[in-house]
Amino acid sequence: MQLFRIDPLTKKRLQRFRRIKRGYYSFLILVVLFVLSLFSEFIANDRALAVKYDGKLYFPTLKFYPMSTFDQKDEYGFDDVEANYLGLKTELRELRAEFKQRMESYSGTEAELIAAEPKYARKDAWVLMPMVPFDPYEPDFTYDVPPPNAPDGRHWFGTDGQGRDVFARLLYGFRISMVFALLLVVLGQTVGTIIGSLQGYIAGRFDLYGQRFIEIWGTLPFLYVVIIISAFFIINMWKLIIIFAIFQWIRITYYMRTEMYREKTREYCLAARSYGASSWRIMFRHLLPNCLTPLVTFTPFFIVGAIGSLTALDYLGFGLPAPTPSWGELIDQALQSDNRDKIWLSIAPFGAISITLVLVTFVGESVREAFDPKQFARYK
Amino acid sequence: MIDPKSPMADGAAVGGVGTELAKDTILRVQDLKKHYPIRGGVFSRVQAAVKAVDGVSFDLMKGETLGLVGESGCGKSTLGRTLMRLEEPTEGRVLFEGADLAHANKKQLFVLRREIQMIFQDPYSSLNPRLPVGDIVREPLDVHTIGTREERQRKVEELCLQVGLKTEVINRYPHEFSGGQRQRVGIARALALEPKVIVADEPVSALDVSVQAQVINLMVQLQKKLGLTYMFISHDLSVVEYISDSIAIMYLGRIVEMGKKETIFDAPTHPYTRALIASVPNPDPRKRRKQAPIEGETPSPVNPPRGCAFHPRCPFAQPKCKEARPELEPFSGSGDPRHVVACVRKDEI
Repeated sequence: MQLFRIDPLTKKRLQRFRRIKRGYYSFLILVVLFVLSLFSEFIANDRALAVKYDGKLYFPTLKFYPMSTFDQKDEYGFDDVEANYLGLKTELRELRAEFKQRMESYSGTEAELIAAEPKYARKDAWVLMPMVPFDPYEPDFTYDVPPPNAPDGRHWFGTDGQGRDVFARLLYGFRISMVFALLLVVLGQTVGTIIGSLQGYIAGRFDLYGQRFIEIWGTLPFLYVVIIISAFFIINMWKLIIIFAIFQWIRITYYMRTEMYREKTREYCLAARSYGASSWRIMFRHLLPNCLTPLVTFTPFFIVGAIGSLTALDYLGFGLPAPTPSWGELIDQALQSDNRDKIWLSIAPFGAISITLVLVTFVGESVREAFDPKQFARYK
Repeated sequence: MIDPKSPMADGAAVGGVGTELAKDTILRVQDLKKHYPIRGGVFSRVQAAVKAVDGVSFDLMKGETLGLVGESGCGKSTLGRTLMRLEEPTEGRVLFEGADLAHANKKQLFVLRREIQMIFQDPYSSLNPRLPVGDIVREPLDVHTIGTREERQRKVEELCLQVGLKTEVINRYPHEFSGGQRQRVGIARALALEPKVIVADEPVSALDVSVQAQVINLMVQLQKKLGLTYMFISHDLSVVEYISDSIAIMYLGRIVEMGKKETIFDAPTHPYTRALIASVPNPDPRKRRKQAPIEGETPSPVNPPRGCAFHPRCPFAQPKCKEARPELEPFSGSGDPRHVVACVRKDEI
């Protein structure tokens, strides 16, 4: 109950944020995009959303069906691998066209033709594919020229060097970037806030030595550390988040520390001590809610930073492991010497990164403005 | 170091020599000191100390109001905070009914805090802007886990009524109130634990004069009703004259004169007190000032003048004033048995 009651100050700031249209709409767009990207499997996938076959309904997004379910066989004759839904869709379309053609020259009714040739019974089966019927991992080799292939009706944003759909990779890359950035920022900000607040609240020696430690820690070159670590370990997303967080927490400590220093001298803090409130209670119930401005205002910019760094690291090849859809990896492909003329490879990730970062920055700017205690100050 | 007394123990039984309290003494402060070290040099050695409170002793009688007066920087607020243990005392004892607040450990202190509470100076910063008034007043009860949820809620309503606020205020936030109302909330919070002693640190100096009177009257009413004992810190002599039973005058970390209100106002003895009393503006233009107000600046509490700290500004100063620091001694000239003065020339001047 305590958590969900919004005090009037916060309420006012939220109202102010909603009034700043640019930031508010950017925020809404980002939220919608992010929520949509969480359902990427239903937007860009080579598994069908739904299949009606022999009178039964299938939902292949949620469950694996082997080829045998739909009487398919791959080129080697196996039928226990994943069904090819795009192929099934083409088969059925051809079947319907064939049936239509036969009907024109056939004298009897449709039912009679089906009775004569039972394979036409399947003309009513259908396959509903997602908006983009390609998986970010599966290459598409149906073209005559080797990939990357330019954008067309089949691949809106073209395909990359391995023949994978660029749009699908952008979409999954967006999800990975956002999830990565959010997790990283939550982890880093939590650690940084706790350490910075403790420094400010306890002060004295703890603050002195803590500050020196942070100064030394802050001079560690991040990129080299990542390169060294990735030489020893296989990096996955969680490890990468933790490595990032080890460096990420530092910046917020400066702000939380000074906020605490300022806030703890206020008399309400003395009053709390005078009736015997514990340090824990004073810190988290009284001081922290009054020190949240830097935390809230810096978070969007840290998200921008996190997305940027992840992309940079992926570009350099020290980020997420190879088949993972990633913007940095796409840029890397685009900049390879034999891909210089494949302009879609660079425009697509560039556009995605720019739009995302601009949106997050708009949100950050507006949050900063909405939380600005000096509302009427003008900086020139 | 003296062992902290159990807060539950009877004062007389554990007090030992010199700590037996008179029957109606509720709080005895003995030689309380608060020095802030100034560090410097290569190894951060203590080079000097700001002697904010430098050996203060007094008794607070049950049900009385002691006014503590002094100019800015004389250590009044530090004294209040030190005896509340908001600042760690450097030396000395604070005996509440025989239990030593100054040396009490965490657990003992927690229990003792229920008996002695504080009202703060600035009604704007003394209330957490993020909490509704009801939560602010209820928090001491929460911390001390007194009663059930409903009982606490009822107690909060009761407290609000007691300080002259409507019960609707419980869900409102501090910024919706005026300074006077905020100070009432502060008083309600201080009363929540039903303390016996309240240290009021300039509770009205941040308020408008018209509101000051209301808050002071409220404090007087509450004292009568609840039998509270006040230590009232202020620099405003007229406020102190109105509310206090006895008055202590502080100068540079020490009490220089203490006695009944009438004694201090009618027959001030210490030269500093005289100057203070004389500086109160008199509404009657025909009455002339008897004495020129004191001149010069307050000396630094790091290096207070040798001997009597007031001698550089004192119109009665003599060479002997520089020799030894005068202690508080009873002054019989006024006929007040509690009248004490720290001046070597108190009988001459």
